[in-house]
Amino acid sequence: MKPAVFEYVSPTSVDEAVTALSTTDDIGDVKVLAGGQSLVPLLSLRLAQPGRIVDINGIENLSEITEEAGVVTIGALVRQAVAGRSDVVRRSIPLMAAAIPLIGHGAIRNRGTVGGSIAHADPAAELPTVAACLDAELVAQGPGGERSIRAADFFTGFFTTALSEDEILTAVRIRAAGPGTGAAYEEVARRHGDFAMAGVAAQVRLDGDTVAEARIAISGVDLAPVRASKAEAALAGRTIDDAVLDEAADATVADLSPSSDLHGSAAYRKHIAGVLIRKAVRTAAARARETL
Amino acid sequence: MNTREITVTVNGRKRTVNVEVRRTLADFLREDLGLTATHLGCEHGVCGACTVIVDGHTERSCTQLAVQADGREITTVEGLATGDGELHPVQQALRDNHSFQCGFCTPGFVMTIYGMCEDKKAGRPVPCSRTEIREELSGNICRCTGYQSIVDGTEAALAGTAGKES
Amino acid sequence: MAGGSAISGLVGARVHRKEDRTILTGTGRYVDDVQARGMLHAHFLRSTVAHGRITSIDVDEARKVEGVVRVFTGADMSAITEDLSFAQPIPGLHSPSYPAIAHDVVRFVGEPVALIIAESRYIAEDAAGLIEIDYDILDPIMSTTAGLADGATELFGDVPGNVVHTDEQLFGDIEAAFSQADHVVEQSLDQHRWACNPMETRGGVATYETGSGQLVYEASTQTTHTLRFLLAGWIRQPIHQFRVTANNIGGGFGLKFSAYREDVAVCAAAKAVGGAVKWVEDRNEHLVAAGAAREEQLTLQAAVKADGTLLGLRVTMKLDAGAYPINPPATVYAGLVRTTLPGPYKLPAYHFQHHIVATNKASYISLRGPWAVETLVRERLMDKIAETCGISPVEVRTRNLITLDDQPTKMITNVTLENVTAAETFQKLVEMVDLDEVRRQQEAARAEGRLLGFGVGTFIEPAPGTQEFWAAVGFPFGSEPCRIRIEIDGKVTAFTPQTPHGQSHETTLSQLIADELGVGFDDIRIVYGDTDATPFSMLGTGGSRAATMASGAAVYGARELRKRVLEIASHMLEASVEDLQIADGVVSVKGAPGASVPMGQIAMGCWLAPDQMPPGTNTEMEFVADYDGEGGGFSQASHACWVEVDQQTGKIEVQRFLVVEDCGKMINPAVVEGQVIGGIAMGVGGMLLEHSAYAEDGQYLTATFMDYLMPSAPELPEIEIEHMEFETDKVVGSRGVGEGGTVLAPAALLNAIDDALAQVGRPRITETPITPTRMLELLGVIEKE
Ligand SMILES: Cc1cc2nc3c(=O)[nH]c(=O)nc-3n(C[C@H](O)[C@H](O)[C@H](O)COP(=O)(O)OP(=O)(O)OC[C@H]3O[C@@H](n4cnc5c(N)ncnc54)[C@H](O)[C@@H]3O)c2cc1C
Ligand code: FES
Ligand code: FES
Repeated sequence: MKPAVFEYVSPTSVDEAVTALSTTDDIGDVKVLAGGQSLVPLLSLRLAQPGRIVDINGIENLSEITEEAGVVTIGALVRQAVAGRSDVVRRSIPLMAAAIPLIGHGAIRNRGTVGGSIAHADPAAELPTVAACLDAELVAQGPGGERSIRAADFFTGFFTTALSEDEILTAVRIRAAGPGTGAAYEEVARRHGDFAMAGVAAQVRLDGDTVAEARIAISGVDLAPVRASKAEAALAGRTIDDAVLDEAADATVADLSPSSDLHGSAAYRKHIAGVLIRKAVRTAAARARETL
Repeated sequence: MNTREITVTVNGRKRTVNVEVRRTLADFLREDLGLTATHLGCEHGVCGACTVIVDGHTERSCTQLAVQADGREITTVEGLATGDGELHPVQQALRDNHSFQCGFCTPGFVMTIYGMCEDKKAGRPVPCSRTEIREELSGNICRCTGYQSIVDGTEAALAGTAGKES
Repeated sequence: MAGGSAISGLVGARVHRKEDRTILTGTGRYVDDVQARGMLHAHFLRSTVAHGRITSIDVDEARKVEGVVRVFTGADMSAITEDLSFAQPIPGLHSPSYPAIAHDVVRFVGEPVALIIAESRYIAEDAAGLIEIDYDILDPIMSTTAGLADGATELFGDVPGNVVHTDEQLFGDIEAAFSQADHVVEQSLDQHRWACNPMETRGGVATYETGSGQLVYEASTQTTHTLRFLLAGWIRQPIHQFRVTANNIGGGFGLKFSAYREDVAVCAAAKAVGGAVKWVEDRNEHLVAAGAAREEQLTLQAAVKADGTLLGLRVTMKLDAGAYPINPPATVYAGLVRTTLPGPYKLPAYHFQHHIVATNKASYISLRGPWAVETLVRERLMDKIAETCGISPVEVRTRNLITLDDQPTKMITNVTLENVTAAETFQKLVEMVDLDEVRRQQEAARAEGRLLGFGVGTFIEPAPGTQEFWAAVGFPFGSEPCRIRIEIDGKVTAFTPQTPHGQSHETTLSQLIADELGVGFDDIRIVYGDTDATPFSMLGTGGSRAATMASGAAVYGARELRKRVLEIASHMLEASVEDLQIADGVVSVKGAPGASVPMGQIAMGCWLAPDQMPPGTNTEMEFVADYDGEGGGFSQASHACWVEVDQQTGKIEVQRFLVVEDCGKMINPAVVEGQVIGGIAMGVGGMLLEHSAYAEDGQYLTATFMDYLMPSAPELPEIEIEHMEFETDKVVGSRGVGEGGTVLAPAALLNAIDDALAQVGRPRITETPITPTRMLELLGVIEKE
């Protein structure tokens, strides 16, 4: 289990990185290396054998978290642990703050990046689900300059995204949660820190007792995170009780067709998606109430 | 061969070495620097045997490249006990609690627990209950012990570490 | 203590481990830590198909890679080695021999098909990627059922019908038992494959000295001597020119008891290239190719009286042996299961039949209590009998258990039980648990929609077992040697054939010797893992033998040297031997501390000027003791397990786990507890998380630690242990505890889960592992696929 030969470049600016990604001549695959917590194991297993590695860790301005005009911008290189501890994230993106402790283990989060997790697009991962749930804008830079991609368009399939080969993800932009908003991330994994068999991200904004807005996304039940639009619609304008939760969960679960693997059958994933929707929405609503 | 010169400070000693770019940090420490205390249990990030401290944080050494350590400061188990054979208080706490058996997972646990104690010193949050300690140790796998003795040792190590007044 | 040893101070205390300084500072020497000048690295290319005939292999490109020193195909390797053969003169055993590297047919995904020797592991793996192999795919046999089916593809020419071995044995009048039965209780269990997975994988460094012709193999093994004599023939190395060593070993759990084809290939390669070759199996290879255990299907039929009394038992077992036999032969596993299954219960009649079946999987290997399924099925059967007869799980056991008062007595499998306290540990366990309270809590929980389960179990552990026991199994019991030397300065070196890998023998043997000889704990060194230095034993560390056998050898060895020292001192101090004592390495006359002589002075005299020592005394300061185990014996324990089943997610939380164990005299309670807790952790992990899984086409599904799920700290409960120390009149009253936790914990756990299922009217478990998916299927929440 040792990586195959590759060429290594360590640009110090995004422009340099993009150049390294786009001038690929006979090199074969080129891969961005961020936290390496997914990529390096793949290199060691030789499941990935890129001709060139573009290590973006030396790029300076990708590690900042800022909040401006109600939008939080998280640099792609921000370590998951740093994001999890950040006051801005805890205050303005409580869903992300709730999700991060569920990612792997301390030593993984100390190195793994927010951008890396989103670019990797594991359908069971937390941060892509958070991005889908909150309609994050994913900022990419390529030879043609910068563009911003809506999460709904970003996750295009199993471990695949709308990023083109010569683009890097530079930042994630998420609208700050306003008052009356609560969030929860609930999941079931085989062990503490494992990728979940299914997970649910929920953010609920309350207006008095009624739901002004519910945002729900599900991991682990499809090739990419799934937005639970039917559940969101079922909750909007309603007061949360068991019947409403059942209605919301059932509406969504009926549409899911997850696949089976060793860790959980399709029927299992479908079932727990419903369980987790109820749980996450209830918790998110309770937290929303606390802020009122 | 595709190599690069890097300068790394390992256990307080500055080293400048030419490394192949595909070499993992773990292999660099073990093979090039001869620091074989850092063990490899899986080489894919799961078992934690290769855990070291990089710039003050616990990280896996099997999931990063040696070239990425350029300019950074690394502590391995070899950097804990003093030369005269005195165990570091973390090691002593683990010894007092019969924490380990075969020893293969051990360096990774020692560094993870050392990391917790450093966090405590710096006034960062650390696990309090045994349940929290178990969660904090979840990234390290031990096949021998069933963890209970390691949790005992961690409790003792944390108790023996003075925290920053906050 | 009746008849006991001179045990006084250290034995029985929670002495700090000798091993810990080394392992905590990372200064140990595991195989991968070995760095020799000019050392080369080995990497095996492995089959990607489960069953196929190699039609061509092209290694030309691989040979051209800079830094590649040698590439061995199967044919190249077979030219310099003999096929591995574990055949033994056991009637009906079909044990095919096989080459170190496959050159004709491959029989599992992961079988070695080429070996690359290069300057680094990186380069060796580069070269492996350039080797081209074509296979003619053959039908894979992926279950015992498929293997036994009429007209099934046969894996080997010399294993007819894929049956490696089959046998049936009858004890007592089984027909009569069933004809008298009020109930016939049936149960079946299909156990999944799971694996040892020591944190250090397999591996070794072979160093061949071309001048002298000597070969040294430093291996990660549980048994240096067996490895040496098995390998010597296969690699055509004269055994006197072959030394096997082992230093620190990162766990074994039974896996490292055998010699493997990779050992053969690495040693042969070192000879062929004339230098040092290191092979360290990576985790991916380990999971795919090292072998796994426990894949057995059993059916049981019990004849019982209305009050739950056992009358007879019929058992069938199918064991999925994988493709290639290893050491010990699979008949040993079957023999162990058969012999142990009646356990500590009165059983008048018994019929046992087994089929060991070859399949296209990695080898079936030993895993910590390789017979464990006997306890698992028996203890679950006891619960089912209780249910059938309308009595409690406690009553059914109490009615059938053999108590100390019943002993000595013979198990139906012809093994004498003596000093067995399973019933007493169970009694103690029952006293510690308020069963009525447990039921009340369960009821209260159910009212809140929560589901709690409670299970118990008891067993005997042949640790080390008895002569009769091993005769019934079909494996030698063997005595155990220990060489002890009082060095010239009075310090002590002891040489044991044990190859400890976590069991703390450096500590426990030092405790024993320190107490026997009166020397300081730190003044003793234990030497192990070197066939040039340690006395021969076939068994090394395994089967939880050391607590009795290695301890006994050390005690007898120390005792003999003590006798010699005291005799000499008695002349020197002009006092009778009875009036002398040894403490801290000084012999003195009791009550007259001034009259003393340091042991170092005696030893120096003996080593340097034996002729000047008192005439008629034995001045040999080195002695090899051989301990026969004084008949051996059993350990025993009872477990209780409390679970909560989440009916929404199917997750099982072990809330509490209580152990009452009796391994006789504990040498070091901390070591005992470490073994018990570690063993239970493995048993719990095996039932709930771990699965060495294959797809129907024979592809291996759990090739990383992301998929093969080892339990981590949050998945395991805090384990409470109550010790009992039943003392016999044997010199060494200590029994092993290495395996029991893993053997019994699955039974208590599954009984607890079954108990939870029963409360909601659901059927029992018949298949493992109990994943969340399976749990919801059992609960009827989701459909089974
Ligand atoms: C033991 C273990 C447990 C884990 N458990 C979880 C878990 O429970 N949940 C979870 O979500 N994750 C888990 N992870 C994965 C972890 O979160 C990774 O950090 C994450 O998936 C990838 O982030 P990274 O920064 O490490 O990216 P890398 O590994 O460096 O890269 C991953 C992929 O994304 C690409 N990439 C990275 N950054 C960019 C960028 N800025 N622009 C374009 N492409 C980019 C890379 O080219 C690569 O293909 C686990 C990992 C391990 C080893
Ligand atoms: S070796 Fe690095 S995590 Fe296992
Ligand atoms: S002590 Fe052996 S793996 Fe932890």
